[in-house]
Amino acid sequence: MKENLRIADNNFEEEVIKSSIPVLVDFWASWCIPSQMMMPVLNKLSKEYDGKAKIKKLNVDQNPRIRDKHKILGCPTFILFKDGQEIKRAVGAQSEDQLREIIDSVL
Amino acid sequence: MHNKEKTCWNCPAIDLAGKVDFRACGQSVEEFRKKLDLEDSFQIMAECKRRPELGLYDPMSITFEECPEWQKCPHGYLLKNMRVMILGIDGYLGWTLALWMGSLGLEVSGVDNYNRRDWVKERGAHTIVPISRMSERLRAAQEVLDININFREIDILNEHDRLREFIDEVKPEAIVHYGECPSAPYSMIDADHAMYVQKNNVLGTLGVLFLMRDLAPETSMIKLGTMGEYGTPLTGRPLFEGMFPADAVLKWDNREWSLGGELIPRDPPSFYHISKVQDTYNIVEACKYWWLRSYDVMQGVIYGVHTDQVSADPRLQTRLDIDEWFGTVVNRFVAQAIIGIPLTLHGTGEQIRGFIALEDAMQCMTRLIASPPEPGQYSVVNQMSGFSSLREIAKNVAKIGKEEFNLPVKIQRVENPRVESERHPFEPIYENLHKKFGFKPKVSLEEEICRMFKLLTKPEIKRRIEEKKHHIIPKTWWSGEKRKVETIEIFELEEEIAKSEGKLKNRGQ
Repeated sequence: MKENLRIADNNFEEEVIKSSIPVLVDFWASWCIPSQMMMPVLNKLSKEYDGKAKIKKLNVDQNPRIRDKHKILGCPTFILFKDGQEIKRAVGAQSEDQLREIIDSVL
Repeated sequence: MHNKEKTCWNCPAIDLAGKVDFRACGQSVEEFRKKLDLEDSFQIMAECKRRPELGLYDPMSITFEECPEWQKCPHGYLLKNMRVMILGIDGYLGWTLALWMGSLGLEVSGVDNYNRRDWVKERGAHTIVPISRMSERLRAAQEVLDININFREIDILNEHDRLREFIDEVKPEAIVHYGECPSAPYSMIDADHAMYVQKNNVLGTLGVLFLMRDLAPETSMIKLGTMGEYGTPLTGRPLFEGMFPADAVLKWDNREWSLGGELIPRDPPSFYHISKVQDTYNIVEACKYWWLRSYDVMQGVIYGVHTDQVSADPRLQTRLDIDEWFGTVVNRFVAQAIIGIPLTLHGTGEQIRGFIALEDAMQCMTRLIASPPEPGQYSVVNQMSGFSSLREIAKNVAKIGKEEFNLPVKIQRVENPRVESERHPFEPIYENLHKKFGFKPKVSLEEEICRMFKLLTKPEIKRRIEEKKHHIIPKTWWSGEKRKVETIEIFELEEEIAKSEGKLKNRGQ
């Protein structure tokens, strides 16, 4: 995983809530096979939306505080944040087009 | 080094029990917090079984490169004196791996109940490379290579309690599971053999998973699977590494779903191959239920006789079977070439398979053990260094036999006793070992075939091939028939080259 996609409990506020552009966060876990497979797609979308939206990943086992705050019940869960608010949420592996649809809905 | 940035999160020495709640749905986080009297903003903490002086610490804060317990080796950082347990340590792969790992300074233990020796004997065959009894092997390993192997004779299916005791005693940090019946034709002999193979393989593995849950939850299982699990779909769909990638989609009814992470369909061509598929499902679910860790190694057809360790002394040699049940195709072809049996192609001989040399397989296993999965992670590697049609393999063996060893090698097509596609597309994806684990094949097909000819043309070994040559031509039909397959045609190498030049791809990495 590219380092600039990884976030944690201690920088979630800065990277996501205070972000001036929309952020799509992938809440993932190593025990979830679909989660493992999403990485190449997220890297691709991160480049594609560079400057317009951010793509970030948060490991739910390593970061329980944010996991609990956002009531993550399954992995992967994708939450789109804008201006610090949750706008949309999708649970389960998503295709590239499905993720684009989520991000494009606020652009 | 492919694993230098891994952290304690991957390391088997981590002690997470009672400190991390993996129910990421937050169901019992409150209980955990109360137990440890932690503030709201707690971080994941762990202890280290090897370095208790660290106390409770953040397991993501120390990398393998930084940790004094991990040292640089040719195939990546390796845990110092890592305790590796090999199930099936007496076998073709198991014994070879034991010596390989021992020579890297790892602490090797292993179990076997000599089933492989018994199965081969039951069919009236024998290993053409003579092998020593285990007591002799262990003595020779110590004398010649200064390797001490902790061996116990245990049947992993029927002596579950003794295996429990051994695992509890050794506390392995990796378990390599080779302890299964590896033969497709053996599983197709009759109902008894089919039921036996499935019971032995599937229930044996299931029992090991329970023991890992109870005694070694941070230990990884490196499990021998097979490329044969996937079959050879006539659609030509790529054979991904276990699971669909995220950009694979299912389209139906004007709707679309990501297939990312779903297990790819299987089409196993024998009851043995089916047992490996069943293992896969058991392991996937055990990793999910109990946060176990596993690499499923979908191995291509293995061939070869050589590692530095097994070649160091006759008493250290590993077995080599060439009979119709336990022999693998390249090994069988070399043996056939030496005693003048035309190399047997089933049907058209255009079946395409992935292949890997013995020495390269050992390198792969080392790289996997050096880079363990994360808690709960199940991952797959397609373990092969190239793929080829059986016709192309036969050509290679015949060419080397003729040109380097002056043998009059011919090739024959025989009736196909199996139920399988003889002509099919084949697009295997085998990137993980290279991209994630730094694997580069060291041995070419030609080089290993030469090494095999050199060893197998020795008079004492050639004699052993001759003694059991009546077990080379297949008699075990998938239909249940028991008769020798008939020859369809025999041809010279030059004819074959003229006929099939450029027809099928033979790609190496």
